[in-house]
Amino acid sequence: MASFQDIRRRIRSVKNTQQVTKAMKMISAVKLRKSQERLLALRPFAQKMREVSGSIVNRLKGMNNLSNLEHPLVQAFLFPREEKSIHVLLVASDKGLCGGFNANLLKKANQFVETLGSKKVSFDVAGKRSADWARKRQLNVRENYIQIPLQGLERVAAEVSHYAAKAYQEGKIDGLYMIYNHFYSAVNQEPRVVRLFPMELEVVSFDEVAPLLEPDPIIALEALLPKFVETEILAKLIESSASEHGARMAAMDKSTNNAGDVINKLTLTMNKIRQASITNQIIEIVSGANA
Amino acid sequence: MSTTTLHLEVITPQRTVLSVQVSDLQFPSLTKGYYGILPAHTPTMTPLNNGVIYFSEGNQKRMATVFGGFAEVRPDRVTILAQDSETQDQINYEEAEVEHQQALKLLQSAFTEDSLREAQARLERARIRMECSAKTPPR
Repeated sequence: MASFQDIRRRIRSVKNTQQVTKAMKMISAVKLRKSQERLLALRPFAQKMREVSGSIVNRLKGMNNLSNLEHPLVQAFLFPREEKSIHVLLVASDKGLCGGFNANLLKKANQFVETLGSKKVSFDVAGKRSADWARKRQLNVRENYIQIPLQGLERVAAEVSHYAAKAYQEGKIDGLYMIYNHFYSAVNQEPRVVRLFPMELEVVSFDEVAPLLEPDPIIALEALLPKFVETEILAKLIESSASEHGARMAAMDKSTNNAGDVINKLTLTMNKIRQASITNQIIEIVSGANA
Repeated sequence: MSTTTLHLEVITPQRTVLSVQVSDLQFPSLTKGYYGILPAHTPTMTPLNNGVIYFSEGNQKRMATVFGGFAEVRPDRVTILAQDSETQDQINYEEAEVEHQQALKLLQSAFTEDSLREAQARLERARIRMECSAKTPPR
């Protein structure tokens, strides 16, 4: 049986752990707020971008000028070709201690890779955890994005969308996917697989006249669609970041509570041992006096 | 739906820069100089050049910069999606001037194609910000 001293030492150590997890929870809460603010600030932009892109694609579908329709970008959005090889952006976190955040995501990624069959697949990985995963599975990785701060995500989004657009036009890839954690709330995330490119845009109906595309439809499309893809990627990167901090906050909150439980139990045991030893001593004294 | 004013919105990935009622509006087009928009304009979508947007809010003429923009024009509203945008009063003229000087210096010492492009972009940016924040509007 553990001695009184041992248990006291253990309580101290658990208390230290509790302090650490409490601090980490607080830090995550702050980071979560930052990511969430960024997400909220981006939302009107992304929303409008989706609307405008949708109506342009819609407008082009209504045109029967075939010379326009042969442009690769138009092709990509209107007539997606058969997928033989795809590119995937996998977003996990750099650090652990965030509950099932990475485990669930990578499980989803495993399932996704299995469904691909004979399709060729290349990866961009964001976060150390996804980089490790890809290395272990010996997958074809183009770029590692490790330790990217929140402000650096824009650059990542720009690079990936740029590469994807180029690779698509060169015929190297037929689609761009993204695997990330969707942010529902601070305590609720869900790993998701989405196809970003070519993307099914929702069809927006115009009550009024169909809009003019100036200076001509292709130039308008060329200016807008890469930005659209970029915005979509950026929004999802920020969602993943918010999810990560949310998951970590929840995990750390749980461990802080658990540490509290352990301390209570240990304190109880410690008190029992102390009482037992006092009782023992009294018995010794009493029996000594009786003798 | 009023036919005498337009609702102008300028949105960037960081924030909504402007959301105002205007009576007229001009923005730089990609190829054709300036677009002038009045209420009840036919629906149009067009990419924007980097430059300055001019608009009248009430009787007051105002300006804003726009970089990497795309405009959606409807009869009663105009939405501009931009990579970056600032209104006139958000820019410090002296600061923009300093940036302009720095960009000029950078341009002189730029020898690789990349650094040249970078310097040119910074020069353009500084020039537009100066134009927008100048005390006396050029037009």
